[in-house]
Amino acid sequence: MSAVFDLAAVALRLPVGGGVREILSDVHLSLAEGEVYTIVGASGSGKTSLLRVMGGLTRASAGSIRFRGVPIDAPPAGVAFVFQDYAGALLQWRTVARNVALGVERSLAKPERGLRVAEALRLVGLEAHAGDFPWQLSGGMQQRVQLARALAIRPSVLLMDEPFAALDAMTKAGLQDELLRLRDQTGASIVFITHDIEEAVYLGDRVAVLKGPPGTIAHTFTIDLPRTREQIATRESPAFLRLRHQVHDAIRGRA
Amino acid sequence: MNDRGLVQGAGGLAAFLLLWEAVVRSGSATFDYLPAPSAILAALGRLAAGGAFWGEIGHTLLATLLGWAIAVLIGVVAGLALGLSPWLRRYSLASIEALRPLPGVAFAPVGLLAFGFSLQMELAVIVLPTLWPVLVNTMGGISALSPRLGEVARSFRLGRFEATMKVYAPAAAASVLVGLRLSMSLAVVMAVIAEMVGNPQGLGYAVVREQQALRPAEMFGYVFVIGLIGILMNWALMAFARRALPGEFGRPLAMDAGVR
Repeated sequence: MSAVFDLAAVALRLPVGGGVREILSDVHLSLAEGEVYTIVGASGSGKTSLLRVMGGLTRASAGSIRFRGVPIDAPPAGVAFVFQDYAGALLQWRTVARNVALGVERSLAKPERGLRVAEALRLVGLEAHAGDFPWQLSGGMQQRVQLARALAIRPSVLLMDEPFAALDAMTKAGLQDELLRLRDQTGASIVFITHDIEEAVYLGDRVAVLKGPPGTIAHTFTIDLPRTREQIATRESPAFLRLRHQVHDAIRGRA
Repeated sequence: MNDRGLVQGAGGLAAFLLLWEAVVRSGSATFDYLPAPSAILAALGRLAAGGAFWGEIGHTLLATLLGWAIAVLIGVVAGLALGLSPWLRRYSLASIEALRPLPGVAFAPVGLLAFGFSLQMELAVIVLPTLWPVLVNTMGGISALSPRLGEVARSFRLGRFEATMKVYAPAAAASVLVGLRLSMSLAVVMAVIAEMVGNPQGLGYAVVREQQALRPAEMFGYVFVIGLIGILMNWALMAFARRALPGEFGRPLAMDAGVR
């Protein structure tokens, strides 16, 4: 299986005040087709910076970042972001349908665009809310709008920055299962950042532990749970508890 | 305001007018020149039947709209430039902050000296103070946009022009509209003042004229007309905005923050 993303020896240094702060250092990462790769780490460890570098929003200071073999220096086609702050990331003056259309307005003619938007809304179960404005929806629904907007460009990679962190536990669990179902339906690879260890293990095919600053991938765990996850059974299985323990220890530095 | 609120508001106004009428008729107030609302209404009827009245409304309306339009044009363009360029902001913000608090009325005599008794004088007096709300709100609306929106635009690979038209400008529109509303009500005030102290035309001059002629009912009639113009212009602007920015309305706290 060829890698979708390939990061080698990536470093990020940003000027802060008079000096230079090392944000990321020597990050190696390879993302497989259809894989859910979750990244956990304490706040300030550089998780978001790593995602921004992968998505071409921030330029790395050193190392190579290849998307499907091609080095990137700007957001590549086929990669879509989902941000944590849905209210700030959605265009509040546009309807749900027109928000979802944002990424395909230039590339698709009107009839085809309409079909694409409808398809994306169906994937997240928001067909009935196409004409609503984001502020009329609950937080969980707004986050699904953002997800639909990303899916509308038929991305091969979703870069998700703590997308469910601002949501309540029930909504969060629902969206986690929805995300795994979407991965199965679309075949997209997902890089998912979280500070929630349980979430990282539950969603991930692999879990990377980022330690920093400067952020670097200290451990990677392969999650050998059955591919179909279930909120109660999976979370109570001995394998899940063992992995959760291991990731926890890795973050605390006892592994 | 919903229908219920409208009815309740009108009820309050009616009660106030009735009370006023009762106070004047019963003679319990001792103002010589306080007419009853019914007398004001009758005076308005006489004025509306005459020819000059409509010309006076037309003059004040023209001066207000023209002055406001000039202020909006300058304010939006300058505000956009200042909002998009931190460099420009650094050099001009101090001057703006120094000029902005100067009371616009103080410019009326200056305008009179420069332009004489003319529409230009009136426009000068209107444009100077009404410029600031538009300029400051446009600048603020652009420069306060969350960087997140820029990241959304970039991650969806929008071009610079596409991002400005689809993301930045609409995101700042609500804030620009706040400036437009503030400056519109200010424009009515400044037009009337300019006509009172300078250009002897329009509704502002009419108020002074009727006062000096000791015709309080007519004077109050003109005052009400001025108030009505302010309300109608604000209503027209909001009706336009509701069509142009459907997403902004109904959103709690988005529109009315900072207005009034």
